[in-house]
Amino acid sequence: MDEPIFTVSHLNSFYGRGKDRRQVLRDVSLTLAPGEALGVVGESGSGKSTLAKCLLGLVTDIEGELAVNSPRPQMVFQDPYGSLNPAKTVGWILEEPLRAAGVKDREERRRRVEEMLSLVELEPEHLKRRPAQLSGGQRQRVAIAAALIQGSRFLVLDEPVSALDVTLQAQIMRLLADLKERLGLSYLFISHDLAVVYQLCDRVAVMTAGQIVEQGDVDEVYDHPRHEYTKKLLAASLALDG
Amino acid sequence: MKRKNWYLTVGAALTAVMAAWTILGFFWTPYDPSARSAADKYALPSLAHPFGCDYMGRDIFSRALEGAGTTLTIAAAVLVIGFVFGLLIGALCGYYGGAADAVVMRLCDAVSAFPSILLALVAIALLGRGKYNIIAALGVLFVPSFARLVRGEFLKQRDRDYVKSAKLMGVSDLRIIFVHILPNTWPVLLSGLTIGFNNAVLAEASMSYLGVGVSPTEPSLGYMLSESQAYLLKAPWFTAFPALVIILLILGVGLVGEGVRGQLGVEP
Repeated sequence: MDEPIFTVSHLNSFYGRGKDRRQVLRDVSLTLAPGEALGVVGESGSGKSTLAKCLLGLVTDIEGELAVNSPRPQMVFQDPYGSLNPAKTVGWILEEPLRAAGVKDREERRRRVEEMLSLVELEPEHLKRRPAQLSGGQRQRVAIAAALIQGSRFLVLDEPVSALDVTLQAQIMRLLADLKERLGLSYLFISHDLAVVYQLCDRVAVMTAGQIVEQGDVDEVYDHPRHEYTKKLLAASLALDG
Repeated sequence: MKRKNWYLTVGAALTAVMAAWTILGFFWTPYDPSARSAADKYALPSLAHPFGCDYMGRDIFSRALEGAGTTLTIAAAVLVIGFVFGLLIGALCGYYGGAADAVVMRLCDAVSAFPSILLALVAIALLGRGKYNIIAALGVLFVPSFARLVRGEFLKQRDRDYVKSAKLMGVSDLRIIFVHILPNTWPVLLSGLTIGFNNAVLAEASMSYLGVGVSPTEPSLGYMLSESQAYLLKAPWFTAFPALVIILLILGVGLVGEGVRGQLGVEP
């Protein structure tokens, strides 16, 4: 088997300092294989986003083992209004990761931006616009393009479609599945929505109160949930779907 | 719906007129601003002397032209010093936070706890009078308010997702501060700048009015006011015209600031 994208074992993480330091993640163990999409589900406050931030190095107060073997992992955030710099144009936002990676040649940057733009199904005319002039779906496409343009093959998707309406959700989910196929990407997909996780992911981990209570193949977990919490989540989402 | 922004239009027009007035004053005045003429003492405004003459028979129109230049130069220099240092301190404190931030901001609090004119008076007493000493003293006093303004904006911006995203992409901290975050703070900084400009004009005028400003040979609007107070009843135009120039200067820039704020939807 190929080397895993990341390995986390017995990970504890903390927020705050001194007296206020409190534990968020408790004994979390998880791996992601190349080309795999792993869903992490749980209610808000369960530690899903903290797990993502640990993987990306945004949370540093941790104990346990954590190894990420993919260069420059990137993140796609939930709210595409906040994750794109409102003062800049789409062209600038897409070129900036290349500048940061030391691509000095302007033509080369332009070429790669255009390539990426067509991959996420946007038009060259969007390059001159600012995020405020784009729809939510277009914004999320720009965010995905910016995350991929440095050549990252591992993305953390933090509720990437939760802020979008249902039609746009379906389009972005299709795009994510498509990109995964074409570029051989690996995803850590964080969501509270079990239905979208089912669409995209191969495996799923269920989190509550900072712990992983169950993980396995999506079909297995959804059809034969073992933990009480998983059963409750599934029942709640079935109730919503009517 | 787009309403016409009257503040911006009127403010920009007024500012343009006052800028033209000031620039004109650098190159041309109808009379030598310092030339005395015994015959024209307390002359009423007339065609020959549109603003009248003062107690030494000097042409107030010429003095107001040149005085606007002096006042504006000092105000602009004060603003540049206050803004540049305030920006650097505020941006670094706001972005990094921590103990250094706490210490620097308490220092700023300490400076702003005193009335700034009082501190400037102390500084002038130590340094001596003169244009450059005033600029230095007022400039330093303007730093804390800008630093606090900039810091507040950086605090708001630094936890936004676009900043996290830039960090993940390996963008350097300095580039994040000045290229990524700074442009998003301009709307607030611009209105802060216009308010700061007005305060700087008033501060220079107040200092000169108190007699610790520029040297008496150099006309400034504040110094003219200071001189005129003894003749308020005898020659009210001596007070009125320099005051009018100050009011129009401040009004124009103030309206532009208000207009910019309205245009960009920034809360005051």
